[in-house]
Amino acid sequence: MRRIEVKEVSYSYQNKYQKIEAVKKVSCAFETQKMYAVTGESGSGKSTFLSLLAGLDCPETGAVLIDGKDLSRMDRDMYRREQVSMIYQAFHLFPLLTALENVMYPLEAQGMPRKEAREKAASCLGEVGLEEKIFSQYPKMMSGGEQQRVAIARAMAAKGQILLADEPTGNLDSENEERIVEFLKKLAHEKGYIVIVVTHNPDIAQQADVRMIMRDGRMISVIEQD
Amino acid sequence: MTLYYSMKQMFRSPLKSILFFLLAGVSAFLLALGGGLWKMNREMLKEFENIFTTVGTVEQKREKAETVKRWDAGKGEYEYYTYKKYGEWIHNDVLDFAGAGYILEAEQRPYFGALTDEKVRGKADMELLVAEVAPLETGVADSSFPVRVEKVLAGEIKEGDIIYICDHFGDETGNYEPSRFEEGKRYVMGLHSISSVHGPRVEHIAPEEHVPEYQPSNSVASRQYTLDGEKVYDAVEEAEEYGEFDVVTEGFYETERGKRWLEEAKSQEYQFHTVPVEPVGGTKLLLPFYRKEAQISKGRDITEEEYKEGRPVCLIPENLALLFRKEVGDSVTLPLYYADYLPRSSYDGGYQTSLLNAEGKIYPVFHEQDYEIVGIYKTTAALGNGDHALAINEVVIPWNALPENVWKDNIVGAYPMLGSTTSFQIPNGDIERFMSAWEKEGVKGLEIRFYDNGYTQLKAGIESRKLMAWIFLTSGCVLTVMILIFFSNLFITGQQERIAVERILGRTKRQCVLSILFGLVLLAAAGALAGSAAGFLATDRAVQATEGTTEFDRTFSNTIIDPGKEEEEDLKAAGQYSGWEMAFVAGCTVLLAAAVISGVFMRQVLRKEPLQILGRLEE
Repeated sequence: MRRIEVKEVSYSYQNKYQKIEAVKKVSCAFETQKMYAVTGESGSGKSTFLSLLAGLDCPETGAVLIDGKDLSRMDRDMYRREQVSMIYQAFHLFPLLTALENVMYPLEAQGMPRKEAREKAASCLGEVGLEEKIFSQYPKMMSGGEQQRVAIARAMAAKGQILLADEPTGNLDSENEERIVEFLKKLAHEKGYIVIVVTHNPDIAQQADVRMIMRDGRMISVIEQD
Repeated sequence: MTLYYSMKQMFRSPLKSILFFLLAGVSAFLLALGGGLWKMNREMLKEFENIFTTVGTVEQKREKAETVKRWDAGKGEYEYYTYKKYGEWIHNDVLDFAGAGYILEAEQRPYFGALTDEKVRGKADMELLVAEVAPLETGVADSSFPVRVEKVLAGEIKEGDIIYICDHFGDETGNYEPSRFEEGKRYVMGLHSISSVHGPRVEHIAPEEHVPEYQPSNSVASRQYTLDGEKVYDAVEEAEEYGEFDVVTEGFYETERGKRWLEEAKSQEYQFHTVPVEPVGGTKLLLPFYRKEAQISKGRDITEEEYKEGRPVCLIPENLALLFRKEVGDSVTLPLYYADYLPRSSYDGGYQTSLLNAEGKIYPVFHEQDYEIVGIYKTTAALGNGDHALAINEVVIPWNALPENVWKDNIVGAYPMLGSTTSFQIPNGDIERFMSAWEKEGVKGLEIRFYDNGYTQLKAGIESRKLMAWIFLTSGCVLTVMILIFFSNLFITGQQERIAVERILGRTKRQCVLSILFGLVLLAAAGALAGSAAGFLATDRAVQATEGTTEFDRTFSNTIIDPGKEEEEDLKAAGQYSGWEMAFVAGCTVLLAAAVISGVFMRQVLRKEPLQILGRLEE
């Protein structure tokens, strides 16, 4: 059972004009087999909160505990490489690598031999419902839904069971949106992932097991949903 | 894995990669070519700097024209001559001025007479005979006048011979009062053979017999000058009257004038045993050597150090080496007894009219030492050209081999500065600067001529090639920086998404740097290698194209005749420069610049948080 615990986390950054307190004393917890939706208006601090969970930065105060260990004291590169995966609204695939290579990349980065990585990547791509002919295509040749599925396959390929998604369906039509949400739910409920989705979309938020609402950097509500 | 994906992504944007490769190559090419040409030209200039010599000569200009008349007894009329005369003599001290920047200072050189055991000179037309003669009749010597040689004090005539004398020209001021001689008296006189006999007393002699006529001289005046060119006072000279000849009576040779006649006669013998010796600060200050009209055929030149330290070494001509039976390495003793500021070519023009000092004695030796013969030279065009010619049998010694002005009491001739007696050396390419400093001195009446064997033109050519090389080099540098900035922007800033995703996928910053820069630096290296190689080949071509010029210039600047050595020198010149060093430096520069500039860009990108980058991209 994996668990992420956020304790009194605050974070601010300096932009060109002023200091912005993006996250203010947020405390919450995330558990496996659940999909979480973090919602809030633009500038509410949800993306910054996600980057703190991804270990891309450290909180100024408070702590993010991964299975009880303080993330700021861990090797965060290794954490991202081996424990956490992220997907985005703009997919962020390597444009000059094929679908298969995009999925192989994190596997090889973890030290998996190329042949094995190829097999596992193909299996992941199959799992997200992509046909084999897509494997050798570059992202530009694929539809948005296909690209996002490649991104999910890349996230699944990594060993970690924490998936962070930042507006994963923002660029997709409703059919693809539905399909992607299904995958995320499947990952949480069937494969035991902690899935945390930052979204504006109320439909997605509605489908999450837990809905969290942020405003002005604060976590103002955590709602368990059936 | 990192390098595999890096290369894979690099090769999947071939147009960009090829363009970068080509432009990196062009930059390296320009750098290698510019650097190579610049270095080659610099080396060539340095080499020419060593080979070429810039020599200046100084000559006082004759300012006034003067017409003089001279009686010609043969024609029975006055002849008029116009010649240019010097104004006030200019001392060579004026050449010691601020900003001259000499390598070898300007000195007005005398030449010395050195007495040797060998008879080095033969009978010449200008030989002075000294004899007692008895007129065969009483009369005026206004045409060939017969006298019998009673006693020979100096020269090759026989006692008892009948010779003809004639006061042919009158005195040097144009007066013509031919001397009167009385039968039954004995006169002592100097005799110069000047022409064939003429006049009523010799009508019985056919012109084709060419019986010589002698101009009698009554003077036993000394010729002694100070270093400033002033004549040293001589009471005997002051008392002499034109046309008054000494009559030999008993006890005459005990008198002041009688003793002088004996010294004068003795001095004529000295002249047969006198070789001219020229002290100089550097062999190339003697124009015959500079122009290769005189070249060292055995041994070597006197070195700069020997000149500087005034070591007792010398160069002698082949003819003198034969006469002395000397070889390179032998020594020759040079007892120097007079100094003459007239051009050394005057030594060949005739014998000194007098070697007596103001005390009526033959000049004593003022300096004597052994000189090692380090080189034997030969003159290729007679003795050299015109006024600058070397004297017959001239020995060359270092100026510093003698104490300064040790000859000051033994000066037989004074003269203004001449190109053949006054020369100096300045750094190559310094003529304009020298002349500008000289003009500030405001000295009028001297003509300065420079000889540099075309160095100035050659330097101008090389300088313009250097400028071209600078343009290549500068444009290569600018292009390198611009290309690297442009492509770093394209490859790094343009791929910040890739970097951010790699970071999010857990790649360390170092791995990201390797992933992005490996391909870029590899392409830069390949481009630099190809461009440098092309630059090297182009520079090599340029070197080959300039070989001809190098050989040409050497031909005009080598002092020593040694075919083997010359060839070796030429080969050395041809192969001396190879552009590979600059090609290597150019390649490394491009590579280093690529590493530094891309490193700076990479650092900028890595400073930003991946989510910040991706967030911005999503916006």
